[in-house]
Amino acid sequence: MKMIRAFIRPEKEQEVVLALEGSGFPSLTKMPVFGRGKQKGLQVGPVHYDELPKTLIMMVVDDKDVAKVIGIINDKARTGFIGDGKIFTSPVDGVYTVRTGEAVL
Amino acid sequence: MKEITAIIRRDKLPETKNVLDELGYPSVSIQSVDGRGKQKGAVCDNDLDPELPDNYCMSVKLKPTPSTYAVEHTLPKVALFVPKRMLTMVVPDDVVSKIVKSIIKVNRTGKTGDGKIFISPVESAQRVRTGEKDGEAIA
Repeated sequence: MKMIRAFIRPEKEQEVVLALEGSGFPSLTKMPVFGRGKQKGLQVGPVHYDELPKTLIMMVVDDKDVAKVIGIINDKARTGFIGDGKIFTSPVDGVYTVRTGEAVL
Repeated sequence: MKEITAIIRRDKLPETKNVLDELGYPSVSIQSVDGRGKQKGAVCDNDLDPELPDNYCMSVKLKPTPSTYAVEHTLPKVALFVPKRMLTMVVPDDVVSKIVKSIIKVNRTGKTGDGKIFISPVESAQRVRTGEKDGEAIA
């Protein structure tokens, strides 16, 4: 299994969530985060924003679904301007459902 | 080393911290997150009040107020999320199963929304204050 962490624009969050739900991936965790990228924030006229608000969407999916989920997030979160975000994938060794105590997703 | 990420109910946090203290692994990062699972965020009031019957939420019907009508008919569907607490801790390999069992024991209510536990590998660790590496850093 893999954990997918996607940093996306907050305003694109609902669109991404609904697209994932429509493709059969309703389970996810989200949290508001602040960050910056290569461009070291954002310059608007004289005002410099060092850290910008983003939404971090975290989900754990089976290996075979990783490409599909990343495709959906890419498709829905892209605007073509800087600040669209990043997607990270990392391995997950074990998953437990607390309600049943079983090691299944 | 393994990273244990546990997403649990908000009201179970003190008990979970106590049990981690007893095990001797009190170091934990706690974050407030919103999440949902297979049920797509549908929650019942009997999560808050255990006295209510299990099928309480099935029998409650929303009255057709203008607002619910608007939600159902004109606005895009609202994505529901439930507030949760996320615990992150990095522990040695040999105690992972012990900690996971304890967390499950404390947090289990048998109802949906009890949470998930994820275990991922961690390559290295370093304590910022002393520069200790790996095993010593998380001891």
